[in-house]
Amino acid sequence: MANEEKNLRELAGRIYDLDEEVYRELGSSLGRVFNGKKEDCIEETVRMMHERNQAHILRNELALISNMARTIPSHAARHQVMAKYDEILKEVTELPTSFIKGDILDEKMAQLNTLNLQARFGEQDHLIICIGRTYGCGGSEIGFTLADTLKINYYDVEIFDEVLKRLEAEKASVRDKGGYPYKKGAADSRQYINEIPAFAPTPKSTLKEKLREFNRYHGLPKKDAVFFNQSDLLCDMAKREDFVVMGRCADAILTNNRIPHISIFITAPLEQRIHRVMEVRGVENEKKAQRLLAKLDKAHIKYYKYYTGRNWGKARNYDLCINSASYGIQGSVDLIMRMISSGDTQ
Amino acid sequence: MTIPMWLCIPFAGLLFCIAVLPLVKGEWWESHQPLVVAGWSILFIIPFGVLFGAGTALETVLECLVNDYLTFIVLLFGLFCVAGNITMEGDLAGSPRVNIILLTIGTLLSSWIGTTGASMLMVRPVIKMNAWRRNRSHILVFFIFLVSNIGGCLTPIGDPPLLMGFSRGVPFFWSLHLLPIMIFNMVVLLIIFYFIDRKRYCRDMARGRKPDISKPGTKIQIRGLHNLIFLAMIVAAVVLSGILPDLPMFQDAEGHVRGIHIFKEVSLSFPAMIEIVIILIAAFLSFRTTDPVIRKKNHFTWGAIQEVGTLFIGIFITMQPALAILKGMGADLGITEPYQMFWTTGVLSSFLDNTPTYLVFLTTAGAIGFNDGLVTALGMVPVKVLTAISCGAVFMGANTYIGNAPNFMVKAIADENGIHMPSFFRYIGWSLMVLVPVFLLDTLLFFR
Repeated sequence: MANEEKNLRELAGRIYDLDEEVYRELGSSLGRVFNGKKEDCIEETVRMMHERNQAHILRNELALISNMARTIPSHAARHQVMAKYDEILKEVTELPTSFIKGDILDEKMAQLNTLNLQARFGEQDHLIICIGRTYGCGGSEIGFTLADTLKINYYDVEIFDEVLKRLEAEKASVRDKGGYPYKKGAADSRQYINEIPAFAPTPKSTLKEKLREFNRYHGLPKKDAVFFNQSDLLCDMAKREDFVVMGRCADAILTNNRIPHISIFITAPLEQRIHRVMEVRGVENEKKAQRLLAKLDKAHIKYYKYYTGRNWGKARNYDLCINSASYGIQGSVDLIMRMISSGDTQ
Repeated sequence: MTIPMWLCIPFAGLLFCIAVLPLVKGEWWESHQPLVVAGWSILFIIPFGVLFGAGTALETVLECLVNDYLTFIVLLFGLFCVAGNITMEGDLAGSPRVNIILLTIGTLLSSWIGTTGASMLMVRPVIKMNAWRRNRSHILVFFIFLVSNIGGCLTPIGDPPLLMGFSRGVPFFWSLHLLPIMIFNMVVLLIIFYFIDRKRYCRDMARGRKPDISKPGTKIQIRGLHNLIFLAMIVAAVVLSGILPDLPMFQDAEGHVRGIHIFKEVSLSFPAMIEIVIILIAAFLSFRTTDPVIRKKNHFTWGAIQEVGTLFIGIFITMQPALAILKGMGADLGITEPYQMFWTTGVLSSFLDNTPTYLVFLTTAGAIGFNDGLVTALGMVPVKVLTAISCGAVFMGANTYIGNAPNFMVKAIADENGIHMPSFFRYIGWSLMVLVPVFLLDTLLFFR
């Protein structure tokens, strides 16, 4: 324990000395990181090393030193200082309370949900991309184009249809609450028009039908039975093939089942979504389109929270969040492809 | 004979051990329960013997063992055996909706097969259906509230205090008057339960828990159904134990119930013996006629009944001073109003045996000299007062694990089947948060 403390003090002293050296080489103390007495500065640095929630301050200070070090005019001196900096950084990252190990990276999440793609997918794992999207942001088209580019399967309403088959249920009596209807291979944007909107209220059933449903769905609410079956189906599929899956809380389901995947959330500013909805759904009135979007977003938030306990659309739940208005459909696909290629998951 | 208050210390000590030792020294408690029970019992018997003589001490202990504990544990044993031989298999998944249905069925059954019978019959299906869930202890807590207690208020079969009332002249079907109160309590508790269960159900789903519903359609199979005959036998035995003592053939010339004399005033009555024999025959036949596979499927072990049998023998012995003090003080408490009857009977029933507590307050009410009300063997008792005493004794047994025998049985069975039930104090916390507000509503609506 005493040795550990001594090592920390020694390391803090070296950080102080590095700072001093950088500013000595630069010939100015302007903007210097450690301005106080050496002992006080070392004491403060050691305290930061001990406390996990202070790690980001230490990180900022090290970054400041390195930024200044890069401006040292003499190549030899710069090289010498940067070598010392690298050595210190390595030691800092190996500290038990290091900022790199502790305050940013959640080890558990990192196995599944960071950009650490190379480490994420093992040889036996399939490439699974889960896309959550707001209605009218072009997310379905992005997902489909992405699947097409990667030459892997695209699943949206197909999962729901398969679940209905499993449950031996008639489509008329169950609403697809897991996503927006987008049929793979549908000819054009008019594909939406005849579909029942997502999250539409379930039709009322008679007592006899309710009893039949009670038996069919094992006493569970219909939507929960569908969700559980979708979960099973997704996990089965994840063992067999690569695919892109739209919505259906797939990201949370796969995380819970410890199945590696990439989670992406796509949205766009409300104005763009309104215009798109008016165009593809043939909604003439802007207010109507806005109301539709507000209603769908609200229902989607509720649905996602109910089944996952998470907040839909919150950046912290995804690997990548895209504003499709900034990139367009092809641009968004390219962006995702770049991320996947850099991870070299194939 | 004036019993000093300090003689209640062993009872308090035993309750303290039941509450605290499982938390601080769980394993030790599991293996040393009989020792602790014996220790506290001796700590009561010896001082009692010193104060009132060895004969009186022996008589008191035998009295409670022969007349109270024996029938109590035999009934519990019989129901435990018979219910353990009925199994329900199927893929009905425990959800708030299913749980509400199960709790409602259990509550409505309680009055007709007894709170213990309904609890033993329903507890395993409830545990099985909710096996897929992680957060499920609250389901068993509400099960104890409703099935093991409140549901038993409609007939003398439901809960022993009402049977005592029946043998004191309260008509058999009079308790049906409590139906609106029971329905009110059931509905309010089920609404509270729904919201709690829904929240926890969502938490389970969010953690990736899911039931096995891969096959379409629900298949429910109940095996060992013939045991319902033995269940009916046990219910009949309980009813007989309330009827037989009033029949002339079971009374001697002085009007005392006939039986086998054991020691001083202690004797085992013939009606009690008939009850015990019928129950034991039912349990024996149930075991002989049921495939052992069913018990295996039910994860049937003797652990739960052993635990209850051990703890309650100590509770029955050590609570004698408290009951005697209560009997002596009953008339002096100055309790006349229905709300006073409801709360006093209830609070005492939460910790003491609710049957003698009920009897003390029924006697007190009968002795007040009301001019109007129901005529009982103990005097005229206004309907509202009798309602308050009955509801207090039956409902508030749910306040603690020891308030009513099935409470502890349900806890023990749940613990054995992988459900981490709340500790003694946490359970009381549930009662304070959920039951007490409902009982306050009862007071405002029914007992003012």
